[in-house]
Amino acid sequence: MNTTIRMTRSFLSKALYFVVVIGLWQAAITVFKIKEFIVPSPLSVFQALFSPEIAPQYQWMTHIGTTMGEILASFTFTAVFGFILSLFITWSRFARAVVMPVIAVFNSLPKIALAPLFLIWFGYGFAANVMIAILVAFFPVVLNTTTGLDSVDEDLLDLVRYLHASKLQIFIKIRIPMSLPYVFAGLKISATLAVVGAIVGEFVASSQGLGFLIKDSQAMMNTPPMFASLLLISAIGLGLFSFIALMEKVLMPWNRPASEELG
Amino acid sequence: MSEDRTPIISIRNVKKTYKTRNTELEALGDVSFDVFPGEFVSIVGPSGCGKTTLLKILAGLLPRTSGEIVVDPANFNIEREVGFVFQKPLLLHWRKVLDNVLLPIEILKIDRRSMVDKARSLLALVGLEGFEDRYPNELSGGMQQRVSIARALIHDPKLLLMDEPFGALDAITRERLNMELLQIWEKTKKTILFVTHGINEAVFLSDRVVVLTARPSRMAASLDIKLPRPRAQTVRTHPDFGRYALEIYKDLELS
Repeated sequence: MNTTIRMTRSFLSKALYFVVVIGLWQAAITVFKIKEFIVPSPLSVFQALFSPEIAPQYQWMTHIGTTMGEILASFTFTAVFGFILSLFITWSRFARAVVMPVIAVFNSLPKIALAPLFLIWFGYGFAANVMIAILVAFFPVVLNTTTGLDSVDEDLLDLVRYLHASKLQIFIKIRIPMSLPYVFAGLKISATLAVVGAIVGEFVASSQGLGFLIKDSQAMMNTPPMFASLLLISAIGLGLFSFIALMEKVLMPWNRPASEELG
Repeated sequence: MSEDRTPIISIRNVKKTYKTRNTELEALGDVSFDVFPGEFVSIVGPSGCGKTTLLKILAGLLPRTSGEIVVDPANFNIEREVGFVFQKPLLLHWRKVLDNVLLPIEILKIDRRSMVDKARSLLALVGLEGFEDRYPNELSGGMQQRVSIARALIHDPKLLLMDEPFGALDAITRERLNMELLQIWEKTKKTILFVTHGINEAVFLSDRVVVLTARPSRMAASLDIKLPRPRAQTVRTHPDFGRYALEIYKDLELS
């Protein structure tokens, strides 16, 4: 009962916030007489998205599908292989010695600068964009997960070592569960970066996707679809972020605050 | 105390030194004593006397520099039949209480299902019936240490090593847990090696108190405590109680 009231209140306050922001936006345009090709009105953005006469020319579903596909593909790859690579790095000193310098070099590189090269290597479109997004998003997961797997309380290791636990048991029962908060912190950063990577990729090498639509509309100073695309991109980013936060709650139920205090 | 006079474990001239760049730091200097089956032996000494080091050597967590640890492998498998209660509860915060108790079972690759009932009854023994499905962060410090005692008993160890298990708890909780520990010891008939710096605590609990001095650590005494069992708080008023305590104070050069 109490939670229902709290959730309703939270929803209402968010809705109110949204209405206020849109009102201010419209007011600023009216008061300062801002031209449509500089900042469009909320109404024309809405029309660009939903009006039966205007919206179809932008082929929203195609662009959204392309961008989401790129983000999900690159993020999934990043999450899975970033985690596996971190396991290798923390499992074997040799792997750490080989992999870590490479990661350090790539991480210090402005990864976006590689986008034109990727266009040459992977061609024009989806594959190149996914690769760019992976390159941008990959390292935070690896660096965070590695830190998490390394930062284990020595006393906890004593607890299983006196029972002669194997290295594999120590990983499965201690190190990996210990690292989960770090893993999720890394995944949240990577999710944001995967969106950045996909959009930048579309700027450079695409004829589809919301990034492409922004660039394409820019040529005609057609701002309503640009704003609409920005809204959609942030919605996709928020959606992915919320999904990770939800997974974090589901997979780490112990992290929730204690329901009641015991003396 | 025990009729069987074959020691479960003999510690013979065990020494531990740490080498730093140009000095040798002596953590434990030449300790020898026997522990007999079913005995409750306390090791008393100030911080830095190496009592924790000794327990860790016995548990195989640290190598010894010299000396011998003798067990009869037919009677006592030191690899699998040791339980360890640490200073901190060291519960895995992502596991519920019951799953924490079952951790040694998983490490030792014993069938988990067959041990669930035992885990429940051990939790009942330490007074935590009904807390099986709680997470550790929902428990108080004393309750967490009770869970860690149940965990140390789950694989039915013959020797229970306890490293100042109640040191971090408030005095009243500590007294309560000391009483409970005696009851657990009487019920389970384990051999207990208990490290503490509480002199009265050691006298109250033990059949024998081994006294270690500060660095350079050496064994000052091994004192049989012949107070009646089962012990209740009234034993503290026994004329011998103060005599034993005073003797330990003397061994530690505190009087």
